[in-house]
Amino acid sequence: MSARRAFAVLLLFASPVAAGPAEDRFREANDLVRTGDYPRAIAIYGELARSGSESATLYWNWAQAATARGAHGESLWALLRARELDPGDRAVVRDVERLREALNLDPAEIAPEPLAVAGRFSRRHRLDLVALGLLALSLIAHGAARIRSGPRSSAGIASTALVLGLAAAAIPLLASFARPTATVVRRGAPLFDAASPSADATGTLREGEVVPVLDASGEWLHVEDNAGARGWAHTADVRRLDAPPAQPSQD
Amino acid sequence: MSGLARGSSARGLLAALLLLVPGVAWAQFTLRSEVDAHKVGVRDQVQLTLTVAGSGAPDEIPLPPLVNLEVVAGPFQSTQVSIVNGRMSQSRSLSYVLQPRAAGKAEVGVVRAGDQSAPAIAIEVVAGSMRSREPQRQDPFGRDPFGDPLEEFFGRRRGRAEAPRLLMEAQPSRTLLHVGEPLVLTYWLYTQTSVGDLQFKEAPQYSGFWVEDLERDKSPPSGEPASVDGQSYRRFPVLKKLLFPTKAGTLTIPATPFRIGLARTGFFDAGGTVERATKPVTITVEPLPDAPGFSGAVGRFRATASLDRDAVPLGEAATLRFRVDGTGNLKWVERGPEVSLAGAKVFPPQAKSDLRTTASGIAGSRTWEFVVVPETSGAIEIPPLAFSYFDPVAAKIVSAETAPLALRALGGTVAAGVQAAPLSSAAARATGSLPLRSDLDPSTSGALGRRRLAALVGLVLLLHAGLWGAGMLRGNAGSAAGRSASSRSVRAALRDLERAGREAMSKEQAASLVEKALDEAFGGIADADESERARAVRALLDDVRFVRYAPQLGDYSDKVRDLAARAAEAVRRWA
Repeated sequence: MSARRAFAVLLLFASPVAAGPAEDRFREANDLVRTGDYPRAIAIYGELARSGSESATLYWNWAQAATARGAHGESLWALLRARELDPGDRAVVRDVERLREALNLDPAEIAPEPLAVAGRFSRRHRLDLVALGLLALSLIAHGAARIRSGPRSSAGIASTALVLGLAAAAIPLLASFARPTATVVRRGAPLFDAASPSADATGTLREGEVVPVLDASGEWLHVEDNAGARGWAHTADVRRLDAPPAQPSQD
Repeated sequence: MSGLARGSSARGLLAALLLLVPGVAWAQFTLRSEVDAHKVGVRDQVQLTLTVAGSGAPDEIPLPPLVNLEVVAGPFQSTQVSIVNGRMSQSRSLSYVLQPRAAGKAEVGVVRAGDQSAPAIAIEVVAGSMRSREPQRQDPFGRDPFGDPLEEFFGRRRGRAEAPRLLMEAQPSRTLLHVGEPLVLTYWLYTQTSVGDLQFKEAPQYSGFWVEDLERDKSPPSGEPASVDGQSYRRFPVLKKLLFPTKAGTLTIPATPFRIGLARTGFFDAGGTVERATKPVTITVEPLPDAPGFSGAVGRFRATASLDRDAVPLGEAATLRFRVDGTGNLKWVERGPEVSLAGAKVFPPQAKSDLRTTASGIAGSRTWEFVVVPETSGAIEIPPLAFSYFDPVAAKIVSAETAPLALRALGGTVAAGVQAAPLSSAAARATGSLPLRSDLDPSTSGALGRRRLAALVGLVLLLHAGLWGAGMLRGNAGSAAGRSASSRSVRAALRDLERAGREAMSKEQAASLVEKALDEAFGGIADADESERARAVRALLDDVRFVRYAPQLGDYSDKVRDLAARAAEAVRRWA
């Protein structure tokens, strides 16, 4: 019993200690941005993202630093990643729209997957939790209806809650079938015939364009651009929106 | 000294032994294992060639162990005999077509034949395809340009009394050239008869050459008259290959055997197949001169450079394009010029090609795109960029230079005509303050995963099904012991009974209404049920039937009212 209590006390003290370095590094990166050292700041943001401290705030600042150094594709990627993490952040949504217009991209070019929109809606309104609540309510009501002494309206409540719960669960479930997407972070990023830099380049991708990821092989992603051309792009040129960046920044 | 003498005598003895035992002295052969690519896509195929040259080689060369590869075609065997300066040499090759199984590492294992072995070959397999794809053709010449269109319908037959006059010739466009210069190898068919089909008997060998296919004419070849050894023929160009020698020296394209199907010439003619081979073709290849900065390109080229904009705000990027146009072996020129600029960061280039194969070489352009990001404001000069290539006409290395360019980096302010920085932070950046967020919010907890959510939904549905099933079971058990009606059913039954006792209606209508009310309240009563409730309901139903089917000999209204009253009492008591 005393050991368990000691462990709990340790946890209480350990949490702030563990959170501290990430906060410090974040502030250090912010200071670097203010002094104009954007590459180092971005390197620290990337390190934090990979270490599990991903958040909309982190990517917001990353986008500011990327914009300041003229990397608009990277900035759009960071904002889109921030929107994935916090779909309700209105500032992020606003800047995504501004950046899209500045990069002369069509709305469809940054939203190739309609199901992904449903996914963001679901995450923003926590439809998964809503669905679970409704389904739990339907179970309780159904149980009550089966008891003879229960209120006769329980069956109606159970049916309604079940239908609503299933409908609410259907949205995140359907959205989970959306293909993963990635953003082109480099102007003129080449599209190769194979997952190799010595393969033939079949075309180039537009900076900021969001492309569905069809396959992945090591540091290469098999993507399809908005014109329907398929090919392999390097992860340094095209960054996934469903995961933190795998590689450190190329600076 | 004595040691040396001993060594010399031992070598002399070994030499004498070798001379005395011809079988040993002549059992000298070499074994080679080669693949046509060391890096391929998983959708590409690799050609493995095992070659034994010399005498004394075993008849069979076993296929080496393959890792992450499988044989999809082969072995194709070819034998080559050549006589140079009166000495005869012989080589035999086995070719396999291999298909990678998955991206990753692949290997052709060590090949062993007799006492010789060839080392293993590592192959890197990447996803996708490294080679340009063409539709697979079983017949390298496609459809027969000479034959009868009804031939396929009637099929091809074999056997013919006279040997038909047919020849195959491989004719190079030139026999003396430099490394990297193209030559066109044309395969001619000389014929005095109608030909129905033409195929390689063995895959042609172009050792020492890089081979490109030339597009054939869309229209069937009409042929031209030709004379060989006093015989008149009509000759047709059946295939053209563009060859680029990859090494200097005397290169030989070995004889290529063809299998030629003969067209039927009459109803009783069975057609047939003959084999013909071209003669070996010898090409003399001269080496390229060596010079610092030589790109390896051979041909005639022109170099240009351009910037996508003349001025950029500091920190933004411009694209420098270095383009080489011309005809030659541009396809194999990988390396672009080295670009290093003071005051700007230059990222490694991306190369793009727009090339097509022509009889005079590979024509088109290759462009290297450099992303240039100024690091200081002011003018940045891009010096002339050089591209050195070998001009085979002039027989020397020529350097093409681009004109110098200038890029202006505009510090802090947005240049006219230059796209403004798009974020709302642009203005803030100009004043030195960016809209940074100061506190790192905790990691956003992810939503329930698809599997977890689906599992929970499934569990809820299962529990609902369980509850429903349990209710059904309980309902069945309840009906076995006497079903309890719902309050709604009881109320409806009592309303019907009240109507039956109160309203004026025929005895049949009243009996029907009472029976309906009883059924609504009690459902079916099992025959085996001998409870008081069951007996009472059965008695009521008997009375209902009596009233319904009794002859209309008097007034049954009292009887109906009584029946309705008794039924209502039973419903109130037992339903």
